[in-house]
Amino acid sequence: MADIQMAQPDAVPVVSGTRDGRFAKSLIYVGGAILVVAALAAILAPLLSKWGPTEIDPSGTLAAPGGEHLLGSDGNGMDVWSRVLHAARIDLGIAVLAVALAVVVGTLLGLLAGYLGGWVDDVLMRIVDIFQAFPTFILALAVSALLGGGFFNLVITIAAVNAPAYARLVRAEVRTLREMQYIEAAKTSGASTLGIMWRHLLPNSLTPVRVIAPLNCGWAMLTLAGLSFLGLGVTVPTAEWGSMISLGTSDVVAGRWWTSVPPGLALLVCVLGFSLLGEGLQERADAKRR
Amino acid sequence: MRILRFVGRRLLQLIPVLLGVVVLTFLLVRVLPGDPIRSILGPNATEADAEAARVRFGLDQPIWKQFLDYLGGLVTGDFGTSIQSGASVTGEMALRLGPTLELVVIAVTIAIVLAIWLGIWSARRADRAGDHTVRIFALFGNSIPEFWLGLVLILVGYAALGWFPAPSGRVDPDTNLTPLTGADLVDALITGNGPAISSAAAHLVLPVLTLVIGVLAPLLRSVRASALEVLRSEAYAAAAAHGLPERTLLRGYLRRATLVRLPSLAALVFGTALGSTVLIEYVYSWQGFGQWALRGLLYRDYPVVQASVLIIAFAYVLIFLIADVVHAWLDPRVKI
Repeated sequence: MADIQMAQPDAVPVVSGTRDGRFAKSLIYVGGAILVVAALAAILAPLLSKWGPTEIDPSGTLAAPGGEHLLGSDGNGMDVWSRVLHAARIDLGIAVLAVALAVVVGTLLGLLAGYLGGWVDDVLMRIVDIFQAFPTFILALAVSALLGGGFFNLVITIAAVNAPAYARLVRAEVRTLREMQYIEAAKTSGASTLGIMWRHLLPNSLTPVRVIAPLNCGWAMLTLAGLSFLGLGVTVPTAEWGSMISLGTSDVVAGRWWTSVPPGLALLVCVLGFSLLGEGLQERADAKRR
Repeated sequence: MRILRFVGRRLLQLIPVLLGVVVLTFLLVRVLPGDPIRSILGPNATEADAEAARVRFGLDQPIWKQFLDYLGGLVTGDFGTSIQSGASVTGEMALRLGPTLELVVIAVTIAIVLAIWLGIWSARRADRAGDHTVRIFALFGNSIPEFWLGLVLILVGYAALGWFPAPSGRVDPDTNLTPLTGADLVDALITGNGPAISSAAAHLVLPVLTLVIGVLAPLLRSVRASALEVLRSEAYAAAAAHGLPERTLLRGYLRRATLVRLPSLAALVFGTALGSTVLIEYVYSWQGFGQWALRGLLYRDYPVVQASVLIIAFAYVLIFLIADVVHAWLDPRVKI
């Protein structure tokens, strides 16, 4: 199983055409701008919408866009525009928290396995092998079906599915760093194992993690929405893009687009923001390496 | 011979991983909350009814006994009895694998062919308009929620244009198709059932298109990246400087060298596609493996969960093994 790398297809090294930093910079700026706008929309959601995210308008179920409801209302009579905005809080929040948790846990495990080696390494890597014997979405599906939905369970689910990939990444990095002379030097000058891990190995092994993490955030959002779409995510009236799309499924067959298209577009734009940011960072890292 | 030894060694390495999967799913599904018996009995069942049902499915036994029974069954290919349906899990699974494999295999094949063609095309025009278009498309493909894309395609292809059938099934029941493999298009072709062929094909278009767009992006990016690497290599520059004809350059140098990284990526993408089909089957009411496994998970149908998780893990690690063998076969530099 030596060749299973990062579980996301995004982790393919990209050799770009343009080698100067300008292209990378513009990717980072555009991606960053999208994410800033999304974050602002999430924070200011109550100010930007007339209706509450779960407020029911008894006179207007499935009202078409325009008029009382900017983007129409859904089958429950809730305002689609307001829900799309408020959902950004849940979606961005869970994705970013989950990836942060995965990075922390994965990095720690990778450090331990890579530096200590021996049985610690064996045990940890066998566990990672088991986790990586599944397509990531299937694993997320199984874990969330067993753990149950809700905000924190979803954070844990998505973090658990991603942590092994970081562990593997950091472990590989640490194993090359371990042989460097400055580590040898630190050891002979009496630095403790913990000191070496914390001061030398940790900062240096984080380089690839910094590039992968934003891409991973986008993937986490897609996973979260997918789980909610299948009914395994947040509890039902909560505004979340995946569950909004799910609620709109029956409308689609009837040709009503406004209940499911807007939340999907919002999701697409946010994931695109993370992808652009990640791609820009990767491009910059590649350019530096040359 | 060397390949056989390599495959043998890798299969041996798989045993601990799969055993780990077996033990973990067996324990987790039982330890975590949720009761499979309550979900089949309905609200008015008494405790005695529940007890009787537990005995029927062997759930009254101590957990080590249950585990040994399960392992004993696995050796003979018996995955037990579904608690929800009361039918043999092995039989149910056989019915569900066909429709899913049909979707995944067709979509991944189309995606690989398209990726090779478009990726090389794009790399040869690096940093020109065509290349930028392809790259932007790949970025979108990477970022799009597939289940939502499926809905948008239904909205356009069925609700607005009416070109494709409603997303409710895999073939028109009026065609009286005899099920053989479960993959309807294959069944229709085998039995020579004309109307069923066109109906099954029409039902396949939208789900396959959804899946293709989803899996194409990572493949495309990888092919483009490897093709660029080849184009910038000294070997290629030397060959071009010698004045070799364009066709030889393209076929002998560029295409083959570009394919080197493809097998392992295709394996990865195959896994991604397996994951995505759970969502896509849901969108298109495609009664396949994903829908079956999802129901099993939701109702805590222990034997179904155990079987589907194990089969997916097995398929996934097996496909990586195949990818490594294909890689070694394509690339003479790889020693296995």
